Amino acid sequence: MMREWLTRLRHFLRQSWLKRGGESELDEEIRFHVEHATEAKMAAGMTPVEARRQALIEFGGVERAREQCHEQRPGWWMGTVGQDARYALRGFWRNPVFTVTAIATLALGIGATTAVFSVVDRILFRSLPYAHDDRLVSLGLVQSLEKQEFMLGGFFYEWRDNQRPFEAMASQGTMLHGCDLIEANPAQLNCIHAQAGFLPLLGISPLLGRNFLPEEDQPNGPRVALISYGLWQDHYNRDANILNRQIDLDGSPVRVIGVLPKGFELPTLQAPDVMLPTAFNEGLERKANPGTPMRAFARLRPGVNITQAKAELEPLFAQTRDTLIPPPIRKDFHLSVRSLRDRETQDVQLTAWILLGSVLAVLLIACANVAGLMMARDEARERELAVRSALGASRGRLIRQSLTEAVLLSLAGAAAGMALAEGLLRIFLAVAPTGIPFLNRAGLDLRIALFTILLSLVCGAFFGLLPALHIPRTVALTAHGAKFRKRTMLRRSLVVGQIAISMVLLAGAALLLKSFANMEQQRLGIDTQGVLTARIALPGFRYNTAEKKMAFYLEAETALRRLPGIRAVSFSDSLPPGGWHDDRRYSELAVAGKPHPAQGIGGSVICRGVTPDYFRALNIPIVRGRNFNDEERNSSAYLVVLSRLLAARLFPGEDPIGQRMQTGHDGPWYTVVGVAENAKNGGLTEQDEPEVYELRRNLIQDWGGRAQAGEGISAAAPVAIIAADLPSTTVAPWIRAQIAQLDSTVPVKIETMSQQVSKLADRPRFETALLGFFAFCGLLIAMIGLYGVIAFVAAQRTQEIGVRMALGATRLDILRLIAGEGVRLILLGGVLGLVAALAGAQLLKSLLYNVGPRDPAMYAAATLLLAVVALAATLIPARAAMKVEPMAALRCE
Amino acid sequence: MPPSTDLLQGTLDLLILQTLIPGPMHGWGVAQRIQQVSREVLQIGQGSLYPALHRLEYKGWIRADWGSSENNRRAKFYSLTVAGRKQLETELESWKRLSSAIGLVLGQEASA
Repeated sequence: MMREWLTRLRHFLRQSWLKRGGESELDEEIRFHVEHATEAKMAAGMTPVEARRQALIEFGGVERAREQCHEQRPGWWMGTVGQDARYALRGFWRNPVFTVTAIATLALGIGATTAVFSVVDRILFRSLPYAHDDRLVSLGLVQSLEKQEFMLGGFFYEWRDNQRPFEAMASQGTMLHGCDLIEANPAQLNCIHAQAGFLPLLGISPLLGRNFLPEEDQPNGPRVALISYGLWQDHYNRDANILNRQIDLDGSPVRVIGVLPKGFELPTLQAPDVMLPTAFNEGLERKANPGTPMRAFARLRPGVNITQAKAELEPLFAQTRDTLIPPPIRKDFHLSVRSLRDRETQDVQLTAWILLGSVLAVLLIACANVAGLMMARDEARERELAVRSALGASRGRLIRQSLTEAVLLSLAGAAAGMALAEGLLRIFLAVAPTGIPFLNRAGLDLRIALFTILLSLVCGAFFGLLPALHIPRTVALTAHGAKFRKRTMLRRSLVVGQIAISMVLLAGAALLLKSFANMEQQRLGIDTQGVLTARIALPGFRYNTAEKKMAFYLEAETALRRLPGIRAVSFSDSLPPGGWHDDRRYSELAVAGKPHPAQGIGGSVICRGVTPDYFRALNIPIVRGRNFNDEERNSSAYLVVLSRLLAARLFPGEDPIGQRMQTGHDGPWYTVVGVAENAKNGGLTEQDEPEVYELRRNLIQDWGGRAQAGEGISAAAPVAIIAADLPSTTVAPWIRAQIAQLDSTVPVKIETMSQQVSKLADRPRFETALLGFFAFCGLLIAMIGLYGVIAFVAAQRTQEIGVRMALGATRLDILRLIAGEGVRLILLGGVLGLVAALAGAQLLKSLLYNVGPRDPAMYAAATLLLAVVALAATLIPARAAMKVEPMAALRCE
Repeated sequence: MPPSTDLLQGTLDLLILQTLIPGPMHGWGVAQRIQQVSREVLQIGQGSLYPALHRLEYKGWIRADWGSSENNRRAKFYSLTVAGRKQLETELESWKRLSSAIGLVLGQEASA
């Protein structure tokens, strides 16, 4: 083996250095052979001339033999690559229109694909930044109020000790919580609790220091913390002595034992500043019912898949559920085990696939177009190919030439496409919603560049080989006729394919557009005009009691009311029409004097704790009874207003006013004072949910203070809703100034209500804009392709047109002849596309709002658009053909 | 001249290697020799002889040196290398296996 390679190397070097010498040695050898043969024949009695002729005939093609000898050399073809490339470049230079069109088309296709790939790569393909990421799963319970799996202390230890499918199991806290770093340079941080086994499970080791020890993850263990790289860098200036430093977190001392690696993210896609041990009391948790909530993750044993793991876990789940969850709601709990990737990106995977699919469709259309262009060019170069073939170029060589051209074109397209992708990516980032994970980190790195190069090579192979395969074995100088027809057949099928793909893209875009329009135009039931929201984040270490918090919010309310042009100021714990809100099970609601509703049914009810101005601020009419009033805020009465939907459900055919009801087990009894009109509250695309508004009184338990069991208002920080008659740009700085007067260190986030609503529509807007853009690009490129084929066919038939006209065909007949060609392609492509679109539309279903995936109107619109544009692309060349002068046409060629 | 027989794929290499056993030889000589030894049955398409020689040379089985021919002309002489001898042995081996196998098949066909 070694020897063979050495020989090859020697010959390769000799070939490179002594190129000419090598050729002439071969010539000398052949000459020697032919002379010997001639001598032998002369000896047999032939004349010298005849002998030489016979000898040459016997030898066969000298040139061919020379070529074949040359081709025996290892790596001989490398020499021809340069030759082919030079030849190709000269050709491109001579035909700039072709070159620019091809490169521009490819750049569009490749650029768009690269940009989309860089976005979806992290969602779909790139490995997660944890060891054995393909074996990591998120596991726990799901129920109607929480669709992301969660774990409870009582379950966790039972499962950890008795499960078989996992190597390791560990948990983190349910969510980041605010914590305050108290020192000369204070900061509000995000903290997370995690078990000692959590980082090892993910295969993460701290950059500095160490992970929690088991004894530190115990109740009353030493108080230690890991800090993030960002905190270490920004707050401690990468202090090398950070380890073992005592820091004051929320008023108690904690020792820093390590620094997390740069860019570390929890499996819940959050980046904590500080990680603390959960320090669960295992004994208590085991006995607790149901125990502390947490998010649990596990690593599968090698060879075990998720389905198997889930099946193995099911009995354990059923057993623990039956011991820990009370019978009425037991049925609502289910086991969930899914891969970490699904946990992180499941809800955007469909969008990602659809975007990737549609951009690849555009690329396919673009490649088909370039293939068409190459074929048209080859036809124009028929003579050139024939001459090269006659001069001894083999079919393989011609195909190689064609491939070289294609690869050069696609590499140029890739280079231009990369630049385009960079621009497109910036646009994506500008219009993209916040809910798409990793998007902010999408960028063109080496991996993406490699993908682009690979993509361009595949493209090149596609549109280089397709026309090349139609280079016949021998190209005759008078080549015409059947072969042509075969090639136009191929071009026609390419165009049919392009039209079909465009049809699919258009149909998809039309559906999304309709759905988006439905979403934008729907009645929200609230007035967003002139409404602002202000989120005031009170630092917990200074506002450490509910009294202080309530006092601040009430002062803020008074201060805001004093501003000119303010119609209403209200506090609520959550905002419509979407986003977080406090939920109750419908079955937990109880009405005095009525049987309790059946358990486990009825879905959820949204619970909002609001001050009386809420309905005025958002302009939600009270349709029955009355609103809360300001005197009641100072009372200790428990009052609620119901949404019309909830009132109709709880009190069908009765007057709800004055009825008494509970919003939770053992909770206080509320009196219904009014019924408010329904407002959109489950997000823009979801069904409205029944809603109960609880009066937020001036009592600490309504402002995050200790509440009785089952008592209403959630402890979430209230958000101020301010309705103003003046423009929000004027009012916003005033609000800021008023809050700053009370406490200048408190951060305030002010947004308009319209911004909040618009944010909810970000995802659909993003999807619609992108798919629309791709459909537009696809249509444009396909139409250029259609135009090209029809123009080509018309040019090919110029002579025929002349004859027809000479025989009496009218210009209209000619128009019909050429346009008929186009119409056939459009019909075929359109029908194929429609069938494909109807078959695949089901995929879009979950992205559509108030429009079916087979909405006839949208399909009709897409078809109409395609038909009109395609007819225009056909009629332009057909009209040109119609205007041909019969005499000129006859003389053509 | 008797009708020439088409060479089986790959047998040309074998024939060339076998022909070169006695000693170095130039291309014309190889062609003549194969023809003579096979009693004019095997006619080497002379155009394909040289590509084959070059191929064997690149594989390192034969070596080419310039020398002078019987009538004092400069000519390229091919000789077997050690690797070439080994290759010849294995090829002969497989050729024998193949031909005896074909013989068996044909024999059975005849007796059946």
